[in-house]
Amino acid sequence: MSYHYNEAFENPDYHNSETLESGRRKASQMNSMFRQNPYDSSPYDSYTDHDGREQRQSYSVDIPMATMQPGLEVSQSAKRWGTPNANPYGNTHINHSFEYEPEFTYTPPSTLSTVDGPFARRSSDASEEEKIIRNLASMTTRERIKAIQKMPKTMKEKREIRNKVLMEKTRKSVSYSTEIHCCTQCMYKIALSYRRFRNGLSELFQSLQLWQKTLKIIGGKFGTSVLSYFVFLTWLLTFNIFSFLVNFSFVTIPQFIAAGSNNLSFTGLELLTGAGYFQQTVLYYGFYTNSTITKIENSTSYDMQLAYIFTIGIYFVICFFSLVYSMAKSFRNNFVNPQTYSGNAGKLLCIWDFNITNEKAVRLKQKNLSTQIKEALSEGKSEDLNLSLKQRMVHIAIHLAAWIFSLGTTAVCCTCVYYLSINNLKLFMKGDGTELENQAATLVLPIVVSLLNLLTPFVFSLLELLEKFQYPRNQIYVTITRNVILKMSIIGILCYYWLNIVATSATECWETLVGQDIYRLVVVDFLFCLLGSFFGEFIRRIIGTKCLKNLGVPEFDIARNVLGLIYVQTLTWIGIFFSPLLPAIQIIFFFIIFYVKKVSLMMNCQPPRKVWRASQMTTLFIFLLFFPSFTGVLSVVAITIWRLNPSEKCGPFRGLSSIFDAVSRWIDVLTNYPRSAWVVWIYHNLIESVHFFFILTVIIIIITYLYWQIIEGRKIMVRLLHEQIINEGKDKMFLLEKLRALQASTRDTPARKGASQQFSTTSSLYQPPGQLDQQRHLSMPNYLERPLEKNKSSFSAKPPYTADFPETSGFLPGDPQRQQPSTKPGVSEALALAMRARQQAEREMEDEDEEDFRS
Amino acid sequence: MGNKQTIFTPEQLDAYQDCTFFTRKEILRLFYRYRDLAPQLVPLDYSDKPDVMLPYELISSMPELKDNPFRQRIAEVFSEDGEGNMTLDDFLDMFSVLSEMAPRDLKAYYAFKIYDFNNDDYICKSDLEKTVNKLTRHELTPEEVSLVCEKVIEEADLDNDGKLSLEDFQHMILRAPDFLR
Repeated sequence: MSYHYNEAFENPDYHNSETLESGRRKASQMNSMFRQNPYDSSPYDSYTDHDGREQRQSYSVDIPMATMQPGLEVSQSAKRWGTPNANPYGNTHINHSFEYEPEFTYTPPSTLSTVDGPFARRSSDASEEEKIIRNLASMTTRERIKAIQKMPKTMKEKREIRNKVLMEKTRKSVSYSTEIHCCTQCMYKIALSYRRFRNGLSELFQSLQLWQKTLKIIGGKFGTSVLSYFVFLTWLLTFNIFSFLVNFSFVTIPQFIAAGSNNLSFTGLELLTGAGYFQQTVLYYGFYTNSTITKIENSTSYDMQLAYIFTIGIYFVICFFSLVYSMAKSFRNNFVNPQTYSGNAGKLLCIWDFNITNEKAVRLKQKNLSTQIKEALSEGKSEDLNLSLKQRMVHIAIHLAAWIFSLGTTAVCCTCVYYLSINNLKLFMKGDGTELENQAATLVLPIVVSLLNLLTPFVFSLLELLEKFQYPRNQIYVTITRNVILKMSIIGILCYYWLNIVATSATECWETLVGQDIYRLVVVDFLFCLLGSFFGEFIRRIIGTKCLKNLGVPEFDIARNVLGLIYVQTLTWIGIFFSPLLPAIQIIFFFIIFYVKKVSLMMNCQPPRKVWRASQMTTLFIFLLFFPSFTGVLSVVAITIWRLNPSEKCGPFRGLSSIFDAVSRWIDVLTNYPRSAWVVWIYHNLIESVHFFFILTVIIIIITYLYWQIIEGRKIMVRLLHEQIINEGKDKMFLLEKLRALQASTRDTPARKGASQQFSTTSSLYQPPGQLDQQRHLSMPNYLERPLEKNKSSFSAKPPYTADFPETSGFLPGDPQRQQPSTKPGVSEALALAMRARQQAEREMEDEDEEDFRS
Repeated sequence: MGNKQTIFTPEQLDAYQDCTFFTRKEILRLFYRYRDLAPQLVPLDYSDKPDVMLPYELISSMPELKDNPFRQRIAEVFSEDGEGNMTLDDFLDMFSVLSEMAPRDLKAYYAFKIYDFNNDDYICKSDLEKTVNKLTRHELTPEEVSLVCEKVIEEADLDNDGKLSLEDFQHMILRAPDFLR
């Protein structure tokens, strides 16, 4: 891009339209939102969009990948015929940034002369390459490597460029500092070895990643949709590992130091019930001491109360932010589509899952795809067929009935759980019967809950058969909603039971009781999960392949499995306060579940037949994990900490009126020390103050509103740009027609002929898709004008070049009305053409307005 | 630094590392994969840059490509001679682009080339028809295929020229988050 066309930038329209701005550099710094603009399709730019913004600014537009385009080879051969200066477009690719460009002489001949052999043809455009190299040389090592990696060139070219860049760099450093030559070399060596060290480190980290190979195999056999379940599972696993490490190091280890001996006997049934022996271990809240721990006299002591409350508090804060972060990231990547395609194009060109390497899976996928396309086609045909009022009423009635039924089932389940749990508590309080009976009785509640969780989804999936949704996606969403309502209301009822009934009951240590309940729920759910994959998948396969052949091999039900994971994770989060080591148990379970599910998947299942939009579903799952699950957990924990009375005789908070009192007491102590006055200040003015939170809320609401407005503005912008693109497509078609007519009518005039030929060559030069938008918009009229000029003066001796005109001119013309009128001769013709094109396009626009912008 | 291996010089390895998304270990692993395809053809010492090229038949027999309906196009796009015969460089290039570290735009660029069967820098209707046939194993009738292709072009063609340019394609890809995950 060059500065010749700067006058066009004066036009305010160009400044308003974000994608067309000339200073991309500035834009990238201005607002990162621009990076998502879907119209910004210039490959140079978007290649850099990926790995963060820091690398973007310096080279985003400066890597001409056009060198490898077939189209360019044509232009290069054309170029070689003329003198380098004769072609006014020779440099257009190169200096996209408005930087000072040193002359050719700057580069030593040595780099040029090294190029020979097959590369020589491409390097006829050596100046261009020199500039890339110079640009690359000015970057930092990391940026440079990334830029080179992202070039869509062959390895040979990339290596060539890289070597040249390195040479350039060393040459520069040598020429600038000959006297400290040794030192630079030394520095270079250090840098090199540092880089190798870092590469080694990243290799190490990669090998530490869990199950990388297994995940690859699963992806290869079953596609990305099933893979998303396993990715979610590993994600939860790392979450639990983190929480285990935090809890273990800050709460459990100090407790070990202070712990007394455990004199309860261990029978083995405790593993299932979590009671008995475990009651007196670090597993539960009740065992933790309320004293300060000092091993060495006169050294600083460790306050267990504060450790407990702060560890769990900070853990939840970290969880909150990481969840919000991953949710927002996932939303940004997968849902920010101003208009979505109805799916045909996307289905065809994007659906192929290049991960799949299994022959059977490939066959299956091909078959599914063809049925899908057939269905879509028939759907398109029968779309006009409107349902009659009666049919519609029937549909609505069925949906309503299904909803009432599912909500009713949920309500029944909840009441069942509620009465059972109260009964359970009574049984526990009475304590008659043998020890074994008591322990077995405690298992009734978790088994019933898990059974409900396992069986009701099957009932819901029967409802699906009745309902007959038009779109499979709606069906998935409805099923997920119903299941989430079921699971969350069961957990809600249980929480109500724990917080309102157990906490106020006359038990000795209600926190431990709750912890035990949660432990049992988690364990039994794990067992049911194993049983589920045994019966639901293994037995089902045996039946499907041996007895009822038409049933076939079962599909892996992603939604049900993921919801199960979300349910267990919710329980774990609630349980963290009452039983700090629950994450450790969860880690073990997740490990086992991973392997069991993997084996069961490989042995029993086939890839799901439905269209499963894996990325959007993953977003939905993370959202579900955040919204009902994590926020619910936060409120439960908050109630426990602020509202409830901790039990009198056990746990770190014994004797306090509420758990949060521990913090207020600590603040009271701190007021005596002037050095920690800031902590006291923060506590009184920020944490306890209503005003602070009020102001904070108002600020956040204002910011949200602002962003919302910005998004609305962007939407309008995108729509306008879309209109513009369509307009320009029409301009192009019109211009092409006119030019063709012109060409036909003036074929006998040699000068004209030369002009159109030159025109076709330049257009082929601009054909490579590696084009910048602005280039198209701004420079088109000059194409028209310059070749005409050139042709008059020096290009009459051009060799015959037979590019097929209509095929090769794939550029878009500029927006002619925005061009400043130029005084050069030859322009008027082109300008008049362009004006007419615009008028016609606008006329057409008015007609087609409705269809074009439905979205 | 890695004195055990003598296949590449450290400089060569550095260059490969800079030009692909792979680590040293992965490059070596890929080299062995490449060599296993034809142990008699590929030398164990690459430091003097031997000119070895494996024919397409060998490349396409790899498990990664064996069942891919687009294997021939993939090999053609990534090979330097355009016929699917690959040097080690081409081989590494291919795996680098297909690896999960590669950014989506790079993948989109190569996907475009893969779908562009006649190498004219546009996905036109005949390209789309070939794609559909490969995707569906010729299970659709020709009328259905051409209907689908028309719909796709109608939907994704922004500048109304009746074929999909790289811009159109990338624009579409941006709206399809499931692409090449």
